[in-house]
Amino acid sequence: MISSYTVGIYPRSEELIEATRKNAKNLSSLYLAGKKEYIAIQKKANLGYVCDPLLDWDDIFRPFSKLKSVKLEALNRVYETNTFYRKLSFDGGLSDAGNIIRSNLAVSLLPKNRAACIADPYTFADVHLSTKYKKKEEFTIAIAKMLRKEIDALVKSSFGLIQLVAPSIAYNAKVDFGLVKEALNIITRGLKAKTVLHLYFGDVSKKMEKLLDLPVSGLGFDITSTPVSSIKKHSFSGKLLAVGMVNSYNTKLEDKAECILELNNIISKTKPDESFVTTNFDLQYLPKEFAVRKILRLGEIAKGVKSA
Amino acid sequence: MHKYFPTQEIGSLKKPSWLLNVVKNPDISKEDKAKARNDAALLNIKTLEDLGLDIIYDGEVRRVEMYEEPVRYIEGFEFAGRVRSWDNKYYNKARVTSEIDYKQNFHSDEFKFIKENAKHEIKVPVTGAYTLADWSYNEHYKSKEDLVIALAKKVVRPLVQDLAKLGAKIIQIDEPAATTHPAEMEIFRDSVNESVKGINTKFVVHACFSGNDYESLAPELPKIKAQQYTLEFANRDSWNLGVNDKERKGYHVIKLFKEYGFKGEIGIGVTDVHVDKIETPKLVRDRILYAAKAIGDPAKIYVNPDCGLRTRSRTIAFEKIRAMVKGAELARQVIGN
Repeated sequence: MISSYTVGIYPRSEELIEATRKNAKNLSSLYLAGKKEYIAIQKKANLGYVCDPLLDWDDIFRPFSKLKSVKLEALNRVYETNTFYRKLSFDGGLSDAGNIIRSNLAVSLLPKNRAACIADPYTFADVHLSTKYKKKEEFTIAIAKMLRKEIDALVKSSFGLIQLVAPSIAYNAKVDFGLVKEALNIITRGLKAKTVLHLYFGDVSKKMEKLLDLPVSGLGFDITSTPVSSIKKHSFSGKLLAVGMVNSYNTKLEDKAECILELNNIISKTKPDESFVTTNFDLQYLPKEFAVRKILRLGEIAKGVKSA
Repeated sequence: MHKYFPTQEIGSLKKPSWLLNVVKNPDISKEDKAKARNDAALLNIKTLEDLGLDIIYDGEVRRVEMYEEPVRYIEGFEFAGRVRSWDNKYYNKARVTSEIDYKQNFHSDEFKFIKENAKHEIKVPVTGAYTLADWSYNEHYKSKEDLVIALAKKVVRPLVQDLAKLGAKIIQIDEPAATTHPAEMEIFRDSVNESVKGINTKFVVHACFSGNDYESLAPELPKIKAQQYTLEFANRDSWNLGVNDKERKGYHVIKLFKEYGFKGEIGIGVTDVHVDKIETPKLVRDRILYAAKAIGDPAKIYVNPDCGLRTRSRTIAFEKIRAMVKGAELARQVIGN
């Protein structure tokens, strides 16, 4: 058996969709009930790390709109999906950050084996704006410092694994890896939690050497965009490897036996210090009924794989 | 003399609340619901004509939504449930679970009614194959391309063929997903060409909210068998008056279209459909004049909102159209037309 977890935002139930559309009075209690249900499903699937399903988040960045100096801007497409997020404009200091994420998670509902999802600083700065930090480098570093405060608060609350979602690193043809490294150093230096950089929405085959050099505990790949053959070419000795094998962008359920066989093969070739099987990205791209099936399948796959 | 800058809508308008109350009421008979839909269609046709649009439809008043409506009538799809577009907005996404097939012309009654009742020219919006595929889960076809081409050949082509036989002179293939995946532009191009193959009518392609400012679309424009593209531009433009590059930043790409050898018409979006702020006629005028100069021939410019106006209230939508029509008139005055 290997470890497992899901990445990102979960889909809302039909009841919750209706309630959000109507801004129902009992919305908070419905969110709470929805979170409890999804946490129970993750436990039932015996996932290695359990996450808050983030049902009350409109997008992965939106909680930061609560900062004093941040204002909401236009709708933008999430890479090449049919989902949109709101751009944020960071127009002042970020000294009031530090508890934004933790205060937007149902920490008390989560078991001890808890993980949290947060955008990596390069991606964060890549998809938002700032009138204060005019240079991209400056903005990225300011975001990294802000996120480090956020992550420290999460680690204090016993989050043992931090997923750093990094679609811009995967998607963008040109990436300033020097800047990525500097920003990730701020995030991970001396941190007492595992950090996995999740790369999706783009094939990272040609970026693999640079990715393996980054100061994170491990890398996570979406195998619908980065071929398994590219991952298998590299040694993950000294690193963690998360294989995003369960596809959150298609309702078709993965074949358990095929996945187990493939994962055993990947692990034997790459020899990571620790392996995980995960969703490739947010389950919110599926309706709830299908997302639940995928979570359960994720657990079944993890159970069948031989650990390294 | 040819009238420059004909005005048109893109498709959808918000449905009147009285219509929704009728169609959602289980105690109202099918006949009465059909009558209410006809009344709403007549209201939209008459309103759009009175506002002065040259080319109209019925605000898609009978359609649930541009994706869900056709999918209901295509064999091979099963609805999976709602997924988020943004915030608290969702759409009902379907799975392709078997071979795609065309069951019937699902726009036939709607088109016949409009043809009978409209005095102005009609443009029929039809959801395109690429968008239908891109917005669905493919569980059946080996590749996305296979699914797109199956939809083009087996659904969109027979549908537009039927509409042309019924007398449709202008058909707009709605492809909001067109530029979502820059690497798939050839699939998109082939899907449109397969959809219109052998059909003798005017084809318009509508695309919007391009993540890459239509740069991936530009090289394909001359290779696609469409006479006109209706595109969103206002959303990415400034609100200041002027016909210079700085103020008209949303329309720069038209020059690129020309560089790639595009010789057809462009329906320029001059109205942002995601804000309530009404464009002034002077702003619309400047957008038109800039676009006409960029393409090099005023006869090639048509004027429309960026996209369907269904996300705005009816009052706001009609005010935006009114300003658009006035702006086109001002632009005609400037060039002495």
